[in-house]
Amino acid sequence: MFVLKNAWKTVIRNKGRNILIILIVAIIAAAATVGLAIRNAADNARETGLASTSVTATIGVDRSKLMEQAKSSSSSSSSSSSSSSSDSKPDFDAMREAMENSSLTLADYEKYAKASSVNVGTYYSESTGVSGTDSFQPVESTTSNSANSGSSSSSSSSSSSGSSSSGSEGSTQQDPGRGGPGGDQGGMQGMTSGDFTLTGFSSDKAVAAAKNGTFTMTSGKVFGYGTDDNGKVIISKALADFNDLKVGDTITVTNPNDTSKTYKLTIGGIYENTTSSNTDSAGPMGGTSQDADNAIYTSVSTLKSLGLDSTTTAADDDDDTSTQLSYTYVLDNADDYETFASDVKKAGLDDTHTVQSSDVENYEASLVPLDNLAKFALTLLVVVLVVGAVVLIVLNLFNIRERKYEVGVLTAIGVNKVKVAAQFAIELLIVTMCGIALGVAGGAAASVPVSNQLLASQVSAQQTEAASQQAQFGRGADMGGGAPGQTSQQGESSGSNDSSGSSNGSGSTGANAAPNEPGGMRGGMSRAVDYVSSINATVNFKVIGQLILIGLGLTLVSALVGIIFVMRYEPLQILADRS
Amino acid sequence: MTFLEFHDVVRQYGSGESAVLALDHATFDIEQGELAVILGASGAGKSTALNILGGMDRATSGSVTLDGTDLTKATEAQLTDYRRFDVGFVFQFYNLVPNLTALENVELASQICPDALDARETLDKVGLGERLGNFPAQLSGGEQQRVAIARAIAKNPKLLLCDEPTGALDYATGKQILQLLQDACRQRGITVALVTHNSALAPMGDRLIRFRSGKVTEIDANPNPTPIADIEW
Repeated sequence: MFVLKNAWKTVIRNKGRNILIILIVAIIAAAATVGLAIRNAADNARETGLASTSVTATIGVDRSKLMEQAKSSSSSSSSSSSSSSSDSKPDFDAMREAMENSSLTLADYEKYAKASSVNVGTYYSESTGVSGTDSFQPVESTTSNSANSGSSSSSSSSSSSGSSSSGSEGSTQQDPGRGGPGGDQGGMQGMTSGDFTLTGFSSDKAVAAAKNGTFTMTSGKVFGYGTDDNGKVIISKALADFNDLKVGDTITVTNPNDTSKTYKLTIGGIYENTTSSNTDSAGPMGGTSQDADNAIYTSVSTLKSLGLDSTTTAADDDDDTSTQLSYTYVLDNADDYETFASDVKKAGLDDTHTVQSSDVENYEASLVPLDNLAKFALTLLVVVLVVGAVVLIVLNLFNIRERKYEVGVLTAIGVNKVKVAAQFAIELLIVTMCGIALGVAGGAAASVPVSNQLLASQVSAQQTEAASQQAQFGRGADMGGGAPGQTSQQGESSGSNDSSGSSNGSGSTGANAAPNEPGGMRGGMSRAVDYVSSINATVNFKVIGQLILIGLGLTLVSALVGIIFVMRYEPLQILADRS
Repeated sequence: MTFLEFHDVVRQYGSGESAVLALDHATFDIEQGELAVILGASGAGKSTALNILGGMDRATSGSVTLDGTDLTKATEAQLTDYRRFDVGFVFQFYNLVPNLTALENVELASQICPDALDARETLDKVGLGERLGNFPAQLSGGEQQRVAIARAIAKNPKLLLCDEPTGALDYATGKQILQLLQDACRQRGITVALVTHNSALAPMGDRLIRFRSGKVTEIDANPNPTPIADIEW
């Protein structure tokens, strides 16, 4: 007990020195509090943000890897091609073939869904192009009609949508293998353009995730997914008005490459797109099938019955029809997504395909400033703690050297060394605890405004960076976008889209369908992400607990140094030095 | 049986050729309740002998026995206990804890010893009843030394060891201190060993032990010690 009592007396009687230590410790503790609170809040934001919401994931193609593989295989077959690659043309055919083969079939997608160890829901949609007949015409203006005649324009737009897939939700699954890199042969392998896009959905969820956004039914109702409802479709109100159709009418569409093949469909309902922006963004460059108003929705079962589903069209050799498959996995939360991604890899998904989730990517993108802040907070924390430890140790060392004589006296009259050391440790503890209490109070008051201030600067830094990127690629996109009619520049413009799509893809929001459309070429590839701009860095008991632990740790470390000194002292030596 | 036996003690510093013998087969006894004056020039080994007696230093060879306890065989912890319970130290430079008041310095003794004397009373006896709350820095040298004596006596030790207690004090103050030590011995029956280089103090003790070059050269019993008041130097 007397150890405590004497420690307390010593603390009280060395006010100046102890107030200095308290101040230093308080500053360190305040900085550490802010740092810990930020890290804590960042962790919470990350955990809670995606923990409870379901995540959709898709499997996409990593094209650059595909190219590398195609290149390496072609260069190995001819040794001269690698050395002369700078002046000779790349092996387009090999690359196209590689991309053709890289597409996954419905069976593949389903296999991966089964391979998952976590609960995974799935839905998919299949799109194909169909042409109108004399009695059933697409919604179009005269300019778009003329633009539609150039098949290369639609093919280049489909390639651009494929490359920017990570950023745009709806286009992510558009089978990139079908879309060539743009250029002369694009029309042959690309999505069959036609006048209409006939999309089959596997479930209501798939409909809800439709590429053209959500819609409301103005009359009739959405088709069912069983075979009973085969042949039933829903069409947009604009298309219905254009052709003067109503629910229950029958329409006839033809295969775009073979007008002798006709398909009869019954209108089960008429819908209106909730977001009108998609309808006019097609612009003069898009084919009429790209116009949202020319989208005909039906069930996959209908497509299958018509022989237009992806499995059938992929199996037949003729190139007259092709269907794009878009397959989406629904996972309960972000953790399941990670598990699913690794499960799929184990199930045999090769390197050229990657599991992607725009939900996760968008969320991650929105967390970039917060992550930066958390990193900064960690650095701050480490620096502060190291400096704090050094300062405390030095102060304590000086303190004990100064009081060496006291140690000598106490041990000489028979006080245990352990007790002397304990007294010194307790003294330091009292002082540092006062400092930590002060620092936590100050840090708690300061952490919310300080961390929001820091986060705001991080966000603006991030936005500046994004803006400069946008400016850079905006110039590039102007080249193609400014001259939509010139087919000679199509390849170039889609190429620039590719690069901006890959660099900014993760930065554009999921709702941003612009890159999907030809109009997206006119810059604006990356829109400002809705960054997490406020952080709830309140100091809670966890932070206080961590801080007290850290404080105890620091105190013990520095006290240990003192204890070692005390233990080394021999009373006789000290007293002899004194004399 | 002899209270304190210092038998054939050698204390060697260093080793080999540079070895120095601070104590060279020194032997003496002190009886219980005696005031022994240990006299010698500087470097004669008297302080070394006192440190060994006080449990702060160890003999290289020989044996030191106090009231049946052999100090040369004691462990470090036993030596600490010995310092705590059995001996009181009075140093030349007082060695008070600067952060503690006079009273608290004396209370240190009662904090570590179970059968300690009352601190206030002891301070009152050494004439500092009015200065209880003063810090060492606020006391004169003589007053500090009296606090140190009070602290040593308050432990109620078997043996009081004084290393040049008057070395830093003037004549009159020194006399008061010596009077206190003599009183402690006479009135409380504490055995006192007093180390000094001042040969004028020799008559005040019951026993005179003279050191020269680490050897005990003379042991004189003095059946009629002179009161401090009559000693002049």
